[in-house]
This record gives sequence, structure tokens and C-alpha cells, in this order.
Amino acid sequence: MTEVRSRGGRARGLGRLGGRRYLHRMSALDGEIAVWGRRLAGPARPSARDRATALLSRDPALRAALFRVVDVAPACDGPGELADHLAAYLEEAARPRGGGAPAGSDAGSRLAPVLAAAGARVAGSRAGRVPAGVAARLAVRATARRFIAGATPAAAAPELGRLWSAGIASTVDLLGEATVTAAEGRAYAARCADALDTLAATAARWPPAPLLEADAAGPLPRASLSVKVTALTPLVRPAAPERGRADAADALRDLLRRARDHGAHLHVDMESLDARELVLELALELLSEREFRDGPSAGIVVQAYLRDSEQQVDRVLAWARAADRSASLTVRLVKGAYWDQETIEALHRGWTPPVWSRKGDSDRCFERIVPRLLAAFPAVRTAVATHNLRSVAHAIVAARRAGLAPADLELQVLRGLGDELAAALAAERLRVRAYCPVGDLVAGMAYLVRRLLENTANDSFLATRATGAALDRLLEAP
Amino acid sequence: MSAPFRNEPLLELRRASVRDELRGALAALDARLPLEVPVAIGGERRHAPVLDSVDPGRPERVVARATVATGADVDAAVAIAAQAVGAWRDAPAGERAAVLARAAGELRGRRRELAALCVREVGKPWPEADADVAEAIDFLEFYGRQAVALEARAELEQLPGERNTLRHRGRGVAAVIAPWNFPLAIATGMTAAALAAGNAALLKPAEQSPGCALALAQALERAGLPAGLFALLPGAGEVGAALVRHPGVHTIAFTGSGAVGLEIVERAARVAPGQRHLKRVVAEMGGKNCTLVDRDADLDDAVPALLASAFGYAGQKCSATARALVHERLHAPLLERLRGALDTLSVGPADDFASDLGPLIEADARDRVEGALRDAAAAGARVDRTVGELPDDGWFVAPAVVAGAPADGAVVRAELFGPVLSVEPVRGMEEACDRVDEQSYALTGGLFSRDPRTIELVSRRTPVGNLYVNRGTTGAMVARQPFGGNRLSGTGTKAGGPDYLLQFIEPVVICENTVRHGLTFG
Ligand SMILES: Cc1cc2nc3c(=O)[nH]c(=O)nc-3n(C[C@H](O)[C@H](O)[C@H](O)COP(=O)(O)OP(=O)(O)OC[C@H]3O[C@@H](n4cnc5c(N)ncnc54)[C@H](O)[C@@H]3O)c2cc1C
Repeated sequence: MTEVRSRGGRARGLGRLGGRRYLHRMSALDGEIAVWGRRLAGPARPSARDRATALLSRDPALRAALFRVVDVAPACDGPGELADHLAAYLEEAARPRGGGAPAGSDAGSRLAPVLAAAGARVAGSRAGRVPAGVAARLAVRATARRFIAGATPAAAAPELGRLWSAGIASTVDLLGEATVTAAEGRAYAARCADALDTLAATAARWPPAPLLEADAAGPLPRASLSVKVTALTPLVRPAAPERGRADAADALRDLLRRARDHGAHLHVDMESLDARELVLELALELLSEREFRDGPSAGIVVQAYLRDSEQQVDRVLAWARAADRSASLTVRLVKGAYWDQETIEALHRGWTPPVWSRKGDSDRCFERIVPRLLAAFPAVRTAVATHNLRSVAHAIVAARRAGLAPADLELQVLRGLGDELAAALAAERLRVRAYCPVGDLVAGMAYLVRRLLENTANDSFLATRATGAALDRLLEAP
Repeated sequence: MSAPFRNEPLLELRRASVRDELRGALAALDARLPLEVPVAIGGERRHAPVLDSVDPGRPERVVARATVATGADVDAAVAIAAQAVGAWRDAPAGERAAVLARAAGELRGRRRELAALCVREVGKPWPEADADVAEAIDFLEFYGRQAVALEARAELEQLPGERNTLRHRGRGVAAVIAPWNFPLAIATGMTAAALAAGNAALLKPAEQSPGCALALAQALERAGLPAGLFALLPGAGEVGAALVRHPGVHTIAFTGSGAVGLEIVERAARVAPGQRHLKRVVAEMGGKNCTLVDRDADLDDAVPALLASAFGYAGQKCSATARALVHERLHAPLLERLRGALDTLSVGPADDFASDLGPLIEADARDRVEGALRDAAAAGARVDRTVGELPDDGWFVAPAVVAGAPADGAVVRAELFGPVLSVEPVRGMEEACDRVDEQSYALTGGLFSRDPRTIELVSRRTPVGNLYVNRGTTGAMVARQPFGGNRLSGTGTKAGGPDYLLQFIEPVVICENTVRHGLTFG
């Protein structure tokens, strides 16, 4: 985290120089990208939420305290317990951290006196304790509602319908606790099966939306579910991927059949590198099976933050070329959601981190991969999933230059983080899909924390934008 | 002089190509088995193999045939070491460190082969076998640097007219009595510390793992360690006892069971005729380690960490968690998830990357564990075991989660050194601390809590040498988590830490008057 912070600091410093660089002639491509970026950009005035985001990204100690509250909330029985935690976190945020942080470093919160007082108030009186806990609970729930579409697929259905009417397709992700037992794996599989049924039934009632329902490769399913292989099996063993593959195969095969029978899309999410071999090989192996030759519509994920992501693209494109399938494979391109985890694990074990160390490297790698995927259309459908305006605009321009129609490129956002972007894309008659997590608060906790961290990470596009950084600079080539 | 210490990188087993290399190294090793392990003293080797170490997963496979050291061998080794140690002790620490760094390089060059050897000789699964070799390398690199740092330490007050110097001098001859469960790492660690500090080291490896000890002997020899400073003395308990008794031995570094450790402490206290020093004992003994789970713990983290801590290397690490003391609110759900998770564990040959647990080290160990589980069940405890076939051959044991074990029974009290986890409810963390406090062992402990105040409470109250918060209790890293227990778990020293070498040091203070005819020259 310290590393991330310092890098962020440097990035801001360079940004000022970047402004001057922008005055130089930019390439025609970059010019076109900047035009698209400005078209998609929302209002220039930061919202209240942006201001909160900006505050959190500047104050790591406060940010840590708030995330810990969100993290622990579902485990607390009653507002009193949550208030106790809140007080302890605020107290800790107010103190410069132990572990030898030099005096005067900004390891403690800049709001230290305020936090110390707040912590004391929460902890101090019984009378203050419960209301503080109630307030914290409400705040956590409100945050959860922003990111989580509903506790169940049925509960989320109205929201999915609203999105559809606004020109935004969706894919549902079922949040859950980690799978450590076979029973938990089976329960997740059953929830996925139910979700496919519910989504198919719900989506059948939606009005037609031609842009969202077909591209040049053929029809596009309305109902879509994103699944996590590590939730289907407790046998995720980095050194023995074959165990998880064998264990999850039947469950995933059942879901593929069900998706095919419903005419729904099934997307296999990608997780940390420890599970990559398991996830990718399993997905491609099953999709190669005879019975899935003509469907369902299915997809996998490539993470551009991995140093070897371009080799992964080689692997996937080779598979798509060789596969005897009439259905195309959707490849969702992301940067990758486990940057801190991968970096820390590598540091602890003495490995070269498998992810790029500089944010710009991930962004550039992302831009290198986009045209390669687009060139494989229609065998491969490309879904570009990012909230970074530069990355989105780059993909739009790349698709046009590749001669593709607007419907032939899918753009994806996370509900709660990319809502404004999705609306802007829909307004431009581009094809956009929102990724909608579904689940209760307990199940959603890990997801929530991850989204919040991402949203306020120093290097993140959204956080940088929220601090009011100049749009032109943000649209420059990475 | 040398680069700052960095832990040796572990192998990235999630990469298929790395796993293939290891399989290749194992096949090459298998073709050379059994290894022949001599008694090695002062450059001489004596071969008369009588003691076999076998693959605990396939006992008919002999991994090494060792010559057993005799009383005469021990006498000779001590005499030659006593001769050689003077020059070594007086050499600059940097020279000693250079030898150890070269020895580290030798091990590094044989990284995969030695991991394979650990897999075969003690039934260690690959990830742990690889970590064992890496840790051995770490100890050589770390203690060498520590010796250099110690030599450079100037910590005495100085006044005009006198020059005060503190010299850290090796104590003399160290006997190193090593266990089989970290057959390379711990043997190397204790040996490297003794040598780095300017001592000679006479190694008595565990009778179950002489093959791994041979690798250390070879590395030191190829690194150019002057003859006589290291001896390899394979054998059973008698060899260790002879070393402990020997009047020419100054320091005894021991890692192993509590019973043997206490015996050593007692024996070493007796001054033999002709002995002109007190022996010092560095002992790392057992543990009965508890992991506390508070009501605000995240079970998604706690369950995998408990599984890894209790069942990693089939529970045969002294740092393993044997008891989970769980807040009553989470007791039932945690137990249910642990029981379910038992069935995800695969017990099989250590050389199979798909195995979560390999065999226990020997038949006795298996019988001890099975006996304790039978007793617990007979006393009314619920014992859940991993279902599924065990290999017919070898000393495999299905891991067990026990609930309601009798408080005075072996499952709760004894160090079983096997894959058994007792799960016990507590009303809160204060009560959990009381239970931990009742124990005479105090090696490692674990805590799962998201409340900084609970973490502070347990940190303050725990008697253990190493407390791990919100993670597993095994896998201490050299220089990052110096390791060692308190109470009857050990002498309180921390292997891989900044003060460990002092155990092998005799400090000498020299005060020189620098005033001459009223003038000071210093
Ligand atoms: C619809 C959708 C689906 C998704 N599905 C998945 C999935 O299946 N698997 C998955 O892993 N992620 C997934 N993600 C998350 C995604 O990987 C990113 O974490 C997230 O979108 C933020 O990236 P960005 O391009 O939007 O923002 P940006 O701010 O442009 O980029 C942030 C990203 O850059 C990378 N980064 C940050 N710091 C550095 C650094 N110092 N050096 C190098 N790289 C750095 C990280 O990947 C970080 O997430 C999905 C995202 C969306 C929108």
C-alpha cells in the first residue's frame, strides 16, 4: 500500500508535465480518442460522491478505517458491536501507524484530531455508542446498495429491467462467501442455475432493443450470468490445477447446458493468477466439447495487468481459430482486479510480480490487446470492461478503424462505479453492459471492499478524475 | 560488502513448467537411490552403512544408508574440531560469512534435487519441501551477515584514557542435534549459526533424515570450509547422548521433542571431570499451539488458515495449530465448515502435486495419532475424518477434526505431531487466553479478530514465542519472523533473528589503559 501511495504521488507530479506534453502535436489516433473521451465525459463539476472519493484517496488512514468498518459490519451482531469496532478503527487511524513509520510521515490520518475525537465520542458513552453503530450500519447498507443490485436475482430483476430500458444490457454475478466445502460449491452452482432460470424468464418480458440483441456475428442473448469457478469448487490448488478442473467440470457443464437451453450467455470470470490455469483451461476444454459446438454464447476474461497477458491472448486466439464451433467466444478484456494481492504475494515469496508494476504499463498493454481481439471478430467477440475514459475511447476508435459497426464492440462497466459512463455510452448508441453483483450484505462484503479500494486507489482513473484532474490529461496516451 | 539479506525466492509451483522441472529432478534422484551417508570427520570418510532411512510413503524404498558414528568417532570429531576451531574463531567474520555464502550457493545450485530429496526422505509435499531448501539457504546467508554485523558492533562507552572493546568470540565446539521434520532447514540453521559465530559444528542428524544432512556436509565441503570444523555423525540417540556428555563440547543446539530436550538440559548441566566450562544449551522443543477465533473473525479466512496450519505437512511442524479456541457464537458454523473442508483434502504420496497431506514419518507416529483419536472417541468426543482411500502402503493418516475432546486427554494436552485439530468453544478471548495460559508449552499461537483492541489484548497476554494474527501459524521466514518458543517449548532463543548468534558467543571485554606519562595515545 505504501508503494501504491508513493507511486500515486509521483504520478500526480508527472501529470503537470503531461499538460505541457499535451500541447505538442498528438497523433491522429490520439486526437480521435480525445474527441471520443470528451464526448463521453460527464459533467466537469465533481459531485459530492467525487469529493468523498477524493478525500479518501488523499487520506489513506481514514480510507483504511472506513474500509475496515465495511469489512467487519456483516460479522457484527448489533450496532453496539459495530460501534466498538468503529471506535477502535478511528483511534488507530488517528495514531501514526506503528511498525516504525517515521515521525511526521503521513501514515496517520491528516484528520487525526477529528478522528480521535470521533473515536472517543463513539467509545465514550453508552448513549453515543448505539446511535453511532446504527449510523455506521446504515452507511454500510447504503454503500452496499450502490454496488449490489439486490439480494437475489428476483429482487434485482426490476433494476435489470430499468437498465435494459435505458439501453444498457446486464450480466449478473452472484456474490458469495468463499467455497471451502463441497456443499458450498454445490450451493453456489444451484444458485447459478436458479439465476439462469430467473434471468431468462425476466428478460423474455423486456421490450425489444435491437442494438443490444444482435451484432454482425449473430444474435446476442438478453440474459447473462457471470460465474466464478473458484466458487464452484473447494479444490483450487495452484500447484494442482487438475484437481479443481476435474471437480468443477460437471457443475460448469451443467450451467453451460442450462444457459444453452435458455438461450442465455454464460461468462467465466477470471480471478487471481493462482487459479488462472484452472479457470482458463477448464472453460476452453468444456467449450471444445461437441455438445457446446453451437452454443451457448459464452465468454472468458483476459487481464491486461499480467505481464504475460499477450501470450494468453495468443493462446485464446489460437483456440478460437482451431475450435470447431459455430458460436463465437466473447473475450472480456479487463486490467485486473487483484493487483495489490498479486504484488504482495510476489513480494513475500520473492517472485517477480506477475503484474506490471506501473499503471501505465497495464494501460498500454490493454491498448495493445484491443486491436488483436477486434481483428478476430466474429470468431471472437470483444467486450472491453473499463471505467477509464481513455481506455474506452481508445477501444471505440480502434473498433471503427478495424471497420466494425458500433454493435460489434461491447463495452462493460460495473454497476455503482460506471453508471454515468454507461449512460453516456448508451446515449451514443454504443453497446454497453453493466455487471451487476447480486447477493446479501454478508456475501457481498469482500466484493464491496474491493470496489471501494479500487475506486479510491491513487492510481485509479476514477479517483484521479474525482480529484478534478484535467480531462485532457486523462485522455492522453498512457 | 555483500548485498542486504533477502529471503531466497520460493519456486513458483503454480507454473506448470516449474512442476515439470521438479518431476524431472525427482526421477533423476530416484535413479541414484539409495544415497550412501558416511561418517565424515576432518576430511576423512568412513563407510559402513547399517542405518536405513526410507520413504515414509513407500517404506520398501530405501532413500539413504548411513554409517553410524561410534563413541570413538565422536571423540575424534571433538578432538579434531578443537584443533581446528582456533584459527576459524580468529578469522574475520567476513571470511566465515564468505564460506557460508558459498555453501548457500551450493544448495542453490541443487535446489530442485534437494527438494526432491526432502519429498522422498521425510514425505514432505512439494511446496513445503521447496520451502525447506529455501530456508536452509536463508540461514546460511543470514547468519553470515549477522556475524559480520556483530563484529562491527561498537557498543561500549569510551572515556579518554581507556579503550574498551567487546569481542564476540566463538565458544568452541558445538554439537548440533537436528530433527527430521525440517531435515535441511533446521540442521543447516543450527550449523550455520555455530559456524558463523566462530565455532566448530558437529552434526548429529535425525536417524530418519541422514540423506538431507549429507547434502549440507557436501555443500560446506565444496564451499571450502576448513577441515575439522564440521563433522557428520549419523546415528540414533546414543550418538547425540555421547555428544551431550562429551567434556569437549561447549554448546549444544537441539531441536526436537520436549522429553529429549529436558534430558539434554539436565545432562549438560553436569560438569564432567576435566571439563573447564559450562555447557550452554539452545533447545527448541514442542508445542501445543492454539489458534483463537473471535466472534468478529472472517471464517472465509480462518477456515483455510486453520486447515493449512493444522494439516500442512500432516501436522508435523512444531508450529502447527493443534487447538482452535473459538468464540461460542462462531463455534458451530466454524466446525461445520471445517468438517466439510476435511473432505476436500487429499491424502497421498508426497511426490504428487495433488496431495494435500503426505504420510507421517513412521509407523509409531501413525499409531500414536490413531491411538489418541480412539481414546478421544471412547471418551465421547466427536471425531470427523477425511473420507476416501488412503494408500495401502506407507504411514498415512486421515486428518481429523475433533469436537468435545476430554480436557485432560491427549488430543487436548499432548503434542501429537499429526493431522489432528481439536475445536473448543470459549465464551470470549479472555477465557481463550486463560486456556492458553494453562499450558506449559508456548511456541506459536494464532488469532483471528478484526478488533484492534482484541489483538492488543491477546498480544499482551499470550505467553507464546510467535503470535500470528489473521493468518496461519506456520511458515516463519528467516529475518522476518524470528522463530522460537517460551516456557517448556524452548530456551527462548529466536532462530533467524538478530540475537540468535549470541548463543554461540563468549563475549570478552578488553579494557586498555591508553595513558602513558600523562599523555593519552588512544
Ligand atoms: C464489467 C467488468 C467486469 C470485470 N471482470 C473482471 C474479472 O473477471 N476479473 C478481474 O480481474 N477483473 C475484472 N474487472 C475489474 C477490472 O479488472 C479493473 O479492476 C477495474 O475495471 C478497474 O480498471 P479500469 O480500467 O476501470 O480503471 P483504471 O483506473 O484505468 O485502472 C485500474 C487498474 O489498473 C491496474 N493497476 C493499478 N495500479 C497499477 C500499477 N501500479 N501497475 C500496473 N497496473 C496497475 C489494476 O488492474 C487496476 O485495477 C471487471 C471490470 C468490469 C468493469
